[in-house]
Amino acid sequence: MTDDATTYPGREPLARRMTADAWDRVIGRFGFAVDRRIEGSAHAFAVRSSVPHGTITAIDSNEAKTVPGVLAVITGPDVRVDPSVATTHGETRQDQPVLAFDKVRYVGEPVALVVAETRTAAEDAAALVDVEIAELDLVVDHELAGQPGAPVLHEAWPDNECGTWTLRHGDAEAAMARAEVVHRATYRSPAANHAPMEPHVATAAWLPDGRLEVWTSTQAPYPVRRRLAEIFGLAEDRVRVCVDPLGGGFGSKLDLRLEALVALGSRAVRRPVRMELRRDEVFVTSAKHAATVTITTGADRDGTLRARIVDIVYNGGAYALSTPRSTRTGMIRSPGPYAIPDVLCRVVGRYTNTVPAGPFRGAMTGQVCWAHESATDELAALLGMDPLELRMRNVLRDGDLFATGEAMHGMRYRELVDAAAKGVDWDADAGPTRPELARGKGMAVVLKSTRTPSRSEAHIVLDATGRVTVRTSTVEMGQGAHASMAQLAAARLEMPADDVLVSTIDTHRTPFDTTTSSSRSTLTMGTAVERAADDLRRRIDELATAGRPGTAAPTHSNGAVTVALPEPTVLRYEDLLAGAGLDELVGTGCYQSPPGAGEMDPETTQGMHTVSWHQGAVAVEVEVDVETGRVRVLRAHGASFAGRAVDERRIRKQTEGGMIFGLGQVLMEEVVYDDGQVMNPNLSDYQIPSILDAPERVGSTVLTDPDPDAHPHGVGENTVPPMAPAIANAICAATGVRIRDLPLTPEKVLRAIHEPAVRTP
Amino acid sequence: MVTFVRCATAADAVAAVRDGDGTAKFVGGGTALVLLLQMRLVQVDTLVGVRTIGDVPGWSGIEQRGNVLWIGGGVTLAEVAGSALVRGYAPSLARAASVVGNVRVRNAATLAGNIAEADYASDPPAVLVSLDASVVVHDGARQRAVLARDVFTDFYTTSLDESDLVIGVAVPLVDGSVSAYRKFASRSMEDRPCVGVAVSARFEDGAVGALEVVIGAVSGTPQRWPEITERAWGRRLAAPLMATIADRYADAVDPIADIRGSAWYRREMVRVNVRRALEEVAASADD
Repeated sequence: MTDDATTYPGREPLARRMTADAWDRVIGRFGFAVDRRIEGSAHAFAVRSSVPHGTITAIDSNEAKTVPGVLAVITGPDVRVDPSVATTHGETRQDQPVLAFDKVRYVGEPVALVVAETRTAAEDAAALVDVEIAELDLVVDHELAGQPGAPVLHEAWPDNECGTWTLRHGDAEAAMARAEVVHRATYRSPAANHAPMEPHVATAAWLPDGRLEVWTSTQAPYPVRRRLAEIFGLAEDRVRVCVDPLGGGFGSKLDLRLEALVALGSRAVRRPVRMELRRDEVFVTSAKHAATVTITTGADRDGTLRARIVDIVYNGGAYALSTPRSTRTGMIRSPGPYAIPDVLCRVVGRYTNTVPAGPFRGAMTGQVCWAHESATDELAALLGMDPLELRMRNVLRDGDLFATGEAMHGMRYRELVDAAAKGVDWDADAGPTRPELARGKGMAVVLKSTRTPSRSEAHIVLDATGRVTVRTSTVEMGQGAHASMAQLAAARLEMPADDVLVSTIDTHRTPFDTTTSSSRSTLTMGTAVERAADDLRRRIDELATAGRPGTAAPTHSNGAVTVALPEPTVLRYEDLLAGAGLDELVGTGCYQSPPGAGEMDPETTQGMHTVSWHQGAVAVEVEVDVETGRVRVLRAHGASFAGRAVDERRIRKQTEGGMIFGLGQVLMEEVVYDDGQVMNPNLSDYQIPSILDAPERVGSTVLTDPDPDAHPHGVGENTVPPMAPAIANAICAATGVRIRDLPLTPEKVLRAIHEPAVRTP
Repeated sequence: MVTFVRCATAADAVAAVRDGDGTAKFVGGGTALVLLLQMRLVQVDTLVGVRTIGDVPGWSGIEQRGNVLWIGGGVTLAEVAGSALVRGYAPSLARAASVVGNVRVRNAATLAGNIAEADYASDPPAVLVSLDASVVVHDGARQRAVLARDVFTDFYTTSLDESDLVIGVAVPLVDGSVSAYRKFASRSMEDRPCVGVAVSARFEDGAVGALEVVIGAVSGTPQRWPEITERAWGRRLAAPLMATIADRYADAVDPIADIRGSAWYRREMVRVNVRRALEEVAASADD
């Protein structure tokens, strides 16, 4: 990998580059991770379990080894007896083998790895590896996985338990007993696939001195480095992780994916080894947690919320990944952005014989937002209230206590609800339409936190030619993070953003960052970049005023400083460096969440959960064909609070794009299992929205904080989770039917219309 | 290793597939075949490219030949959808061709390839049956025409030999005929149909002179029940008659269940979409 930051994405500065970026993406010239080629690479293909749960009894790779071009076949049992490779690994629990050796726990689990001169040869040979598996009883459903006698995936976790937490704020049970109106319902959402356009890809190469280099499509360069170091028993500094821009991530590229496999392969054949997933492999590599959420709400007759009890079961799939900790995050967000005096939430994650589940844009929140926002409308119907009014009455305001016991501030929900409603002309009657078409409007709000604790570091380098480059490990994956970093640095240096470059990621060169996830980068890395820019500016000022004590601080403009000497003199950055005999000047900056942030009471989950709460609202208008059940979203309007806005156009793109992304999980997306097999592991059988499915009118409102010292808020996920309940609420407004399990297929809608029992009173 | 051969004549192409003895396949736009190859549902040693064929008159063209509309074996779905001739004489076929896959697929896929693939969940087959179209094939020595309704025999299966090359489609042109195609997709707008309904009709003095209703995507082959549609002959295509035909089709159909809908749902979608397609042709006849 080249170290020259100017090679990404072109030699042109940013603004011209922004246009060129889009153009390059469209014509296929943009350099994605999947385009990276390392000279001399061999190719790996995984042999995957075709059995959802079983014991490996034999693996015969003799025939595979006869395929021309095959260099090595590595099996789980081979790795098991290799003392230089950790038997199992995991972010939260050491429960996952690099290659399965004793048991297989889901269809698609890697059992062996074939390395060959070409990908085709590896793929052909993989089909010839004979894996004998004695089948065990399987469990796919997370509710069944918790029942006595359910098949057990991991002996260490006999109840298939994978993350258990409780949040206790006040006495919800007592308050519920006193409530004038109580509503209770259960809401289900299925596993979904992130379906990034770019499949997962990685290349590993071992250097002769035992260092490991990896080029990978990850959202988490530093965690991947740490995990590789753990698995192969290396010091972290002996592992180098490089990341090119991704063709979409959405959470699917956060955990260790292919990196350990290619490292194993490369070590076996002493060459770089590359692996690029086929689309069907993408489907068995990551997933959204399926979930069941039962929510009970107590309220006064006037609509004041009094108590909420939430019970959540998440389907973690076959291995823990982040589920034991992320279940808590989902639980904390599950009461929704409401001021409720008494709240009780209980969550459990369950291991099942399905694809291991991990974060999915709006991580762990889509499932609970689906529940609390459907429930809000159902409660409004019980109370005979306008659901908008019910929200306005109860949404969090400054000073309100949230369920974690935190006093909330910067709460903008009333404005967000109002803006979303106005965006779809909430009070206007639907226009005339054909008798078989029914129109309705729906709304939903969401509260999301960002990962805490976390840390981001940035370096800004001024080189001898006067060029300014931000070195950051924030991954560019289409969200525009690099453009924002350039803009933030440029503002502090008072130079055009066009003239600031942003490096690609190389853990030997770009400093630490927790992950690119959780809508955290603009706040955390953005702050680090601003501090690095301030630091660089200070160092430039020192150079400019060196030997002239008492000189006023210089002014900066367009890559030059003006110093009063006493006559104002303009000095270009490169000349300052040359004059001081310096090749470069580096400013550094760090963001670290405050001590204690993110630490919660283990029994009650009270405490300061997050450094930033993300606030969003969505309103939609739908048209339901009551003869077919087909739902068309006519209008969608998203509202998001951005804090100090870096670039309003990019915020709008996230806000509006999030709704179109979210539309898929509402109307059509579901990973379908039959007997433990994924039945739709391709983009024909698993559908995501096309541009023809996008609402005819998509709008957004961006609320900002004019205070120049305010911090930016993450906006990458704020309109994804609310889409499902907003659309379900609109369908109910149009037709009177309430559907509580996603996706909202035409068949479910039509069945509900045909079966009046499902109608709400 | 797969060999790709480009053929200049129909006879060469047929010979190449025949010589492959089950390991060679014709490829036109390649949109379906490449997917099947990727999924390893089809294994081939030789791909016989037919886009370069130069000796079949009208191979790449759409033309009127007397009372027949000819669509050559090299014609893409996008060309079918955009053709003024097809839109004028067989609007249902233009419509069906315009909703297959997405624009990238339609720009590459050919109508002939669509027929040869015989995907039960595609749009053109039902329309070709409803229009009483013939599929013209070349077997290396001579040409023959096979009625579309006799071509499709099961899921992904035709009555054609593996080495029969589809060189064109002949759609009979009938004075005063009207047609419509309704694709009903249950997921993305770019999904394959959950149910497709093709209707072709001719009206005489306001009464039905002929009527054909063909259902696609509900089972292995396009489905038609002439005994139901023939009862409409001589009658006005009014709302009660349309509802009756729709109900009878819904009763007659034995739908599959798949990821796009259960059997129950497909039956209901046959009912709704047959009625709506009949309403469309009735309205176009009134114009």
